[in-house]
Amino acid sequence: MSDFPERFDVRAFTRSAQGRFRDELDLDALAGQPLTPDDLCLVRFLSRVEGASMEHLRDVLMTATHKDARVTAFLVTWAYEKSWIADALDAVLDVHDQPGRAAPEGRPARKWSERRSRRGPLWRSLAAIAQGDAVVAAHMTAGLVDEWVMGVTYEMLAGRAGSNALSKVIDRIEPVKRRHEEFFATEAHRRLQDTDRAVRLTRTELRRSVWPIGAARRGAEDREQFARAVFAGAEGQARAASIGARVARLTGLTEATGAAVARSLRW
Amino acid sequence: MVIRCVGPVDCTGMAFDIDEYAAGSRAVRWDDLDLDHFRTHPLPAATLRTLRYMTDVEYHTICYTRDLLTTPSHADDDVARFMITWNREEFWHGEALAAVLRMHGIEVGFDQLRANRLKFGWKDSLNPAVQSVLGRVVGRDFIAVHMSWGAANEYTAVAAYKRMAAMEQDPVLAELLRRIAQQEARHVAFYVTQARQRLAASRKAQRLTRALLKHAWAPVGSSIMDHEEVVFVFGQLMSGPEGVAEAKRLDGNISALPGMAGLRIFEKAFGRLLAEVRGGESFS
Repeated sequence: MSDFPERFDVRAFTRSAQGRFRDELDLDALAGQPLTPDDLCLVRFLSRVEGASMEHLRDVLMTATHKDARVTAFLVTWAYEKSWIADALDAVLDVHDQPGRAAPEGRPARKWSERRSRRGPLWRSLAAIAQGDAVVAAHMTAGLVDEWVMGVTYEMLAGRAGSNALSKVIDRIEPVKRRHEEFFATEAHRRLQDTDRAVRLTRTELRRSVWPIGAARRGAEDREQFARAVFAGAEGQARAASIGARVARLTGLTEATGAAVARSLRW
Repeated sequence: MVIRCVGPVDCTGMAFDIDEYAAGSRAVRWDDLDLDHFRTHPLPAATLRTLRYMTDVEYHTICYTRDLLTTPSHADDDVARFMITWNREEFWHGEALAAVLRMHGIEVGFDQLRANRLKFGWKDSLNPAVQSVLGRVVGRDFIAVHMSWGAANEYTAVAAYKRMAAMEQDPVLAELLRRIAQQEARHVAFYVTQARQRLAASRKAQRLTRALLKHAWAPVGSSIMDHEEVVFVFGQLMSGPEGVAEAKRLDGNISALPGMAGLRIFEKAFGRLLAEVRGGESFS
């Protein structure tokens, strides 16, 4: 956690939000180094996940998180920036004449064990009454873990594709994501120190979550391809273990929570 | 994607292009305005009180978004993209107005906004559940209610900013309010376009929307601000012949939506508030 400032300047973040940047990308270079179908599939999955910020806001705003004006100020800009990250990823797909995130998606897997991640506003808002303010810590920590999962996915994609042009796109996205990670890290750190209740609820939520956030609502086939690509095999297991270890080091969280997160990531 | 808007006033003949709107959205500017001007020409207390109301309402837009997200509207790509950009623009309206208040020694911080939201109480906690049940029972037609409601709110916002600018006549404030109203007019265009399309497609949506606007709509901010502030602000902005004319004009806009002919929600709502201010002044 020492990598991050004690306090994140939300106002500075909102003032310097990243808008549309697809025009800055070297799309001609991408056209000259076409990606494989598997890589394009992963790009589309990432675009869908980045572009689904309203789905996530729908979940978190039903709870006490919506009352924290500092957090909502961040989330408003976070959603805006993510929509332009998704747009940049769609530009990569456009160059390959491939459909973007708006293309029809396959049906989600609808696993019983993931039912909580698919809960709608009715159940979330009723559960939120009992959860109180502690849920904000759980949301901030889940946001942080989500950034880690997305981070290793971009890194894996850049390495696997071996395309300088795609690496430059990912390099352009990275600083935008870095600021999101900074916010979630500082907030998670601070809020997990606040109360035991926040820690307990965060442990429970992390153990039950599906990664990346929103994946439970993505098409089953795309999601399986993502999990195979990023978290299968020896390298994939190592990525999952590394994220689990980072979770375990968070304030108040345990090796068991980290192991549960790693287990849920592994394919 | 281009959505054809055929609304009566603010968007006659306009096409609402969500791609163009999202790509062209900019935070409202005030860094080029001479806010130091307020050191020598401070705004009166009544104006600052209304500006404070407007600031809070702009910052609390995310709470209205929360209601919208309980409906199937979040799954509509155009609506979701609009909401992302709209929320950001409204947040910046709050920041711009807060900058004016700051020049008068009034700070509007995140902690204070949080404290206000905590005061909303149980009704606020249960609201998503109620809206969600309604959304499930009514289905996609419920989106038409939200879009029409949003149109009424945005119409009010545009009118309020324009009235404030005209009444105060401070050149710096007027320019800032003009800029904000310009962005609000784009929001009107979106909501009216969506409402018109959805209402035109369903008699059930028309009946439900009409009933809820007629019996439940209240001026923007009513559900989140203290009632005495609502009375003060709309008493200030919508009084006199100009206020009456404005209310009639806004009712004309809403009445032009499919199935909403003859609705007088603005006249009635502002009339009730004015009656509280002046002990029963007739509004019609």
